[in-house]
Amino acid sequence: MGLRERLAGRRVFMTGVTGFVGEALLERLLSDFPDTRIVALVRPRGSHSGAARLARMTRKPAFAGLRERLGREGLAALLAERVQVIEGDLADMGALPTDLDVVIHCAGEVSFDPPIDEGFATNLGGVQELLRAVHASGARPHVVHVSTAYVAGLRSGHIAEGRLSHEVDWRAEQSSAERARQAAEDASRSPEVSARLREQAAGEHGRAGAQTVSVAAEAARRDWVARRMVAAGAERAQVLGWTDAYTFTKALAERYLEESHGDLPLTIVRPSIIESAVARPFPGWIEGFKMAEPLILAFGRGELPDFPASPDAVVDIIPVDLVVNALLAAAASPPPVDTPAYYTVCSGFRNPLLFRDLYEYVRGYFLAHPLPKRGRGAIAVPEWPFAGSVAVEAKLRRGEKAVEWANRALGHAPRSERVRRWAVDLERSESRVAFLRRYSDVYRAYTSAELVYVDDATAALHAAMEPADQEEFGFDPACYDWRHYLQDVHCPAVTAVLRRPRDPAPARRGAGNLSAGDGVLAVFDLDGTLVSSTVVESYLWLRLADAGPAERAREIASLARALPGYLRAERRDRGHLIRSVYGRYAGVDPAELAEVVAQAGADVLLRRVKPAAVRRVREHRAAGHRTVLLTGAVAPLVAPLAPLFDEIVATDLAVGADGLYTGRLLASPLVGDSRAAFLDHYARRRGADLESSWAYADSLSDLPMLRTVGNPVVVNPDVALHKVARASGWPIEEWPSTPGESRLLVGSRVERGLFAAAAVAQGRGRGAGGAGRAGGRGDGGNGGDATVVRVGVGEGR
Amino acid sequence: MQVRPGFVLEVDERTPPLLVHQGEGLTLERFPLGTRVVYPPESLPGVGDVDAAIADALEHPYNCEPLRELLRPGMRLTIAFDDLSIPLPRMRRPDVRQRIIEQVLTLAAAAGVDDVQLIAANALHRRMTAAEIEHIVGERVFRSFWPDNLYNHDAEDRDNLLHIGVTDHGEDVEINRRAAESDLLVYVNVNLVAMDGGHKSVPIGLASYNSIRHHHNSHTMVRSRSFMDHTRSEMHSSAWRMGRLLANHLKIFHVETTLNNACFPDKYSFLTRREWEWSVRDQAMAYGMSRGLSVMPSRPRRRLFHDLLADYQVTGVFAGETETTHDQTIASVHRQQLVEVDGQSDVLVVGLPYVGPYNVNSVMNPILATCMGLGYFFNMYRGKPLVRHQGAMILYHPVTPEFSQLHHPSYVDFFTEVLAESTDPATIEAKFEKQYATDPWYIHLYRTSHAYHGVHPFYMWYWAAHGMDHLGDVVWVGGDRAACARMGFRAASTLADALEMVSGTVGRDPSITYLHTPPHTMADVR
Repeated sequence: MGLRERLAGRRVFMTGVTGFVGEALLERLLSDFPDTRIVALVRPRGSHSGAARLARMTRKPAFAGLRERLGREGLAALLAERVQVIEGDLADMGALPTDLDVVIHCAGEVSFDPPIDEGFATNLGGVQELLRAVHASGARPHVVHVSTAYVAGLRSGHIAEGRLSHEVDWRAEQSSAERARQAAEDASRSPEVSARLREQAAGEHGRAGAQTVSVAAEAARRDWVARRMVAAGAERAQVLGWTDAYTFTKALAERYLEESHGDLPLTIVRPSIIESAVARPFPGWIEGFKMAEPLILAFGRGELPDFPASPDAVVDIIPVDLVVNALLAAAASPPPVDTPAYYTVCSGFRNPLLFRDLYEYVRGYFLAHPLPKRGRGAIAVPEWPFAGSVAVEAKLRRGEKAVEWANRALGHAPRSERVRRWAVDLERSESRVAFLRRYSDVYRAYTSAELVYVDDATAALHAAMEPADQEEFGFDPACYDWRHYLQDVHCPAVTAVLRRPRDPAPARRGAGNLSAGDGVLAVFDLDGTLVSSTVVESYLWLRLADAGPAERAREIASLARALPGYLRAERRDRGHLIRSVYGRYAGVDPAELAEVVAQAGADVLLRRVKPAAVRRVREHRAAGHRTVLLTGAVAPLVAPLAPLFDEIVATDLAVGADGLYTGRLLASPLVGDSRAAFLDHYARRRGADLESSWAYADSLSDLPMLRTVGNPVVVNPDVALHKVARASGWPIEEWPSTPGESRLLVGSRVERGLFAAAAVAQGRGRGAGGAGRAGGRGDGGNGGDATVVRVGVGEGR
Repeated sequence: MQVRPGFVLEVDERTPPLLVHQGEGLTLERFPLGTRVVYPPESLPGVGDVDAAIADALEHPYNCEPLRELLRPGMRLTIAFDDLSIPLPRMRRPDVRQRIIEQVLTLAAAAGVDDVQLIAANALHRRMTAAEIEHIVGERVFRSFWPDNLYNHDAEDRDNLLHIGVTDHGEDVEINRRAAESDLLVYVNVNLVAMDGGHKSVPIGLASYNSIRHHHNSHTMVRSRSFMDHTRSEMHSSAWRMGRLLANHLKIFHVETTLNNACFPDKYSFLTRREWEWSVRDQAMAYGMSRGLSVMPSRPRRRLFHDLLADYQVTGVFAGETETTHDQTIASVHRQQLVEVDGQSDVLVVGLPYVGPYNVNSVMNPILATCMGLGYFFNMYRGKPLVRHQGAMILYHPVTPEFSQLHHPSYVDFFTEVLAESTDPATIEAKFEKQYATDPWYIHLYRTSHAYHGVHPFYMWYWAAHGMDHLGDVVWVGGDRAACARMGFRAASTLADALEMVSGTVGRDPSITYLHTPPHTMADVR
């Protein structure tokens, strides 16, 4: 009897139907088994019911053939007629139909390194729930469980099909795994761990203020718990002899089934590494990336210089359609209740693919069809020396160390476009190294162990099929040639996505595209964002405007001595920096300072204003937004920018009884968290909507301000903020400072001297203070040739 | 002393590499055989005693009473003077304007004139700094008048502008109120090139945007052929109409001066000498400088150039009624600059120097470079252009997209926003001019900082309108590719490449003319 007939009239219950194997299996059942009824367990997700998800799934490429044959409506009708959807998941399947004949359990956790509790809940808990639901329904179906060949664990040599030999108690492991999360949560709250995380966060975010630190510390704690849960799974698996939590939990699920299947016939199918289809639904069909694809792509991109695998190890890959066929054949042949059947679906025994061959074929493919490098020809394909895992490991370690050092160095680098480019490059190498680390760890077990799975039972199952079925539903791993499979089927399918022409870059947001609106704020930071300068620099402009060379040198030397302290302050607390710099204003005459700005300082400031910044401020104004400048600079200095803003919030210096600055501030400087608090208050007072507001800033200390608004924009950021912005998906803009502008602190002494001389000559000298030093009263006007001053305008007024 | 006139050299096998200015750099270029090179006349001798010449001009003006007779006690006297856009490079102290102003003030003091104000006629140019004004008027005048009675004209100070009337062509005449309401306006000019002076001084130098827009637009500029020849320039015709209207309301006493071609200090005299007559020292300087400048960092290089002061000699002082005086002035300018050239050529080559009228103490940005090349140098002709209609122009300049945010803030936005949409002067004018001209931020910067008026980059583009209209192809040797493309031009690495690129327009064996300037050279194309 043919396979089709043997499954005709049967009612098949499937789990994992939205997964890789499940999807292929469903497609096959719908196309080729017209008389088999299907019940599918689909988890509702979000607003989509299970049935809706299934309907959406049939729009995928796997169903293209069916769609073509039946039309869209025809396919929907077929689905409605043949498939009953049960809304549920592995934790709660609800009630199953009472007349099930076969259960095919494809669902499972597919990640190699799930958190230990999730791994158990899905892989073991799922099977437990399945048996509960089946028993509850009263049906006595044949249970086909999809496991993996690698449940055999860390072994070598030939691995036969059959019950695994191990004495691990799944009950103890499961209950420990269930408690692991609580334990990790508790441990993460211990003072030692908590203090360490808080200190780290303070080191990175201290400048931004306490609120930001605590947010960062809590996020770090959650990360810590997640990492610990993953580590717990991996460690437990390895100590008991498995490669990872995936194979470990899968193995325990098998053991549970063996113990608990009771009067249900049980078949366990163990595929090896499942890859793209060799023929059905079409050659090269694959969904998402499985095990080998990331490596193949990394190789094609030239990012994989070597791999820690022995060249003669067997890589056990099996095309997905062969697995589906084997499942169908197994489902059609229920074993006796007391002797579960085991089928390993693999290629390693009958059609072994050596790692060296895999490499040669893939390399051959990329040599013939190199990946395009955007606009710059093709990417060169690396040649692996197969230096052995020790050498590769050492190289990887070196890479990790280098990245770590570079990271540390970059954290201290001054900000510039180049440094930001380095940071992006470094991030790329970092993720490349992390990728290598992850894959070399994960794959070590799969590629180095010289183990071979024997598939005699599977071969017998194949041989028992009718010749026509062998042709149509065959799963003989020797039926294809690896060179053909890799070079003509698999690699083209996998790389197709990289060869598609790129969509044109999305239109840049900018001029004129700001949506107009009332109650929208556009908040700008000054130093570094609007102007290429710092608080210290602007202090120097103002103080040195009149200074002669000697005085200038003195001031600069004294400032240079204080500078290391300032830099430390800047790293720790920006408010402290502002306070210490402004302490130096003690004894300065406010009127004099305003005059310096009017006569010389304004030029210096305007020279340093970034044109793109001014443009953006003006765009916001044009859109009807309220523009606000938030700065730690002293108020007189930003006066030249006043017409650009609706509101300027600057630092005010206290004036003493003698009318001179005391060097103290009138209020705490607005930095870090206090900017966020200010904005919050300001928005409420103005009736503005922060969610639609904008903020522009350049430094990590502005993080709270950026987080307050709905449209944060990062401008020429420092490395730390750059990282945050990239992670948060915030726009990062480069506003070039005007090139070619003098970085000289002041060119204004001559200018100020001329003003003073004219004032003195015309009898408007301002006494001993201020500008008087440029020339004493009386030695200007009357001394020289009198032709000019006699005109009378000069002297009289 | 015998001064050799200007002439046209034809490049042959014995011609050495010729000096070409390329922004803040110098190149020695071997031109194709047969290239015509237009050299200006050698520097004319000065008038000798400049003060005496000034005194004489004030005492014996053209078509006007002597200045002495125009001055009386209780009158309002205003002295306006050209700003730092001329002469270029700046003049070594004392500036001839200082000498004239001092003499005028002396006469005024003698006549008992009390109410004197001095106004820099900077139109929509940037306010000059105190130091820049002081360089022009001298220390004593500065000290006595700055800042209340010596100041920059403010074309946006509504209260201090006066609408005089409308010409028969409907042009508004609106100038500085203090100048307009004076009993006598003395205008002190430096007539560096033939475009300057005459009625261009008061009606433009002291005017408002409302008035200037009538002649500074793409329409008149395309019809100013050339604007170095006021008799054939539509822009000048408009200014002349305004000037004549103004003359009915206001007594203007014009003092115009002309300079010789000694536009570089003696140390760099090779820059004004003909290459085959270079001494060994000149050759060493030329070679050394062309190499040295190319490796020098940009800031010291810019400083080196902008600190150059020219040892000009004054070749004439002319005073009196505007038009009669100006005729004399123009004749004097032509004596120094005019060269007869026989017919047009297919290709015109020019090297742009480091400075133009609008980037003193600043950087020549791409728009200014375009104005300098396609505006000023292209228009250095009388009769017909040096290059035939639909011919090609090849310019040497780095065209670095570098802007002074202090001096040229609206230029940055013009380059980024306006040129991104169109490079056609008329389109740009219709779509963007008003917005830039009335922008409050630009006006604020113009009035309080040292920024050119918001509309100024448009004027630069209009200056080039005639050139763009006439030419078939424009290629910049050594130009920044992206910046050139933004402006609608192309860039080449070498002259040979540039000629290759324009061969589609002018063929593979075009006739070439190289306008050897600076010093200023004006071609009289027959």
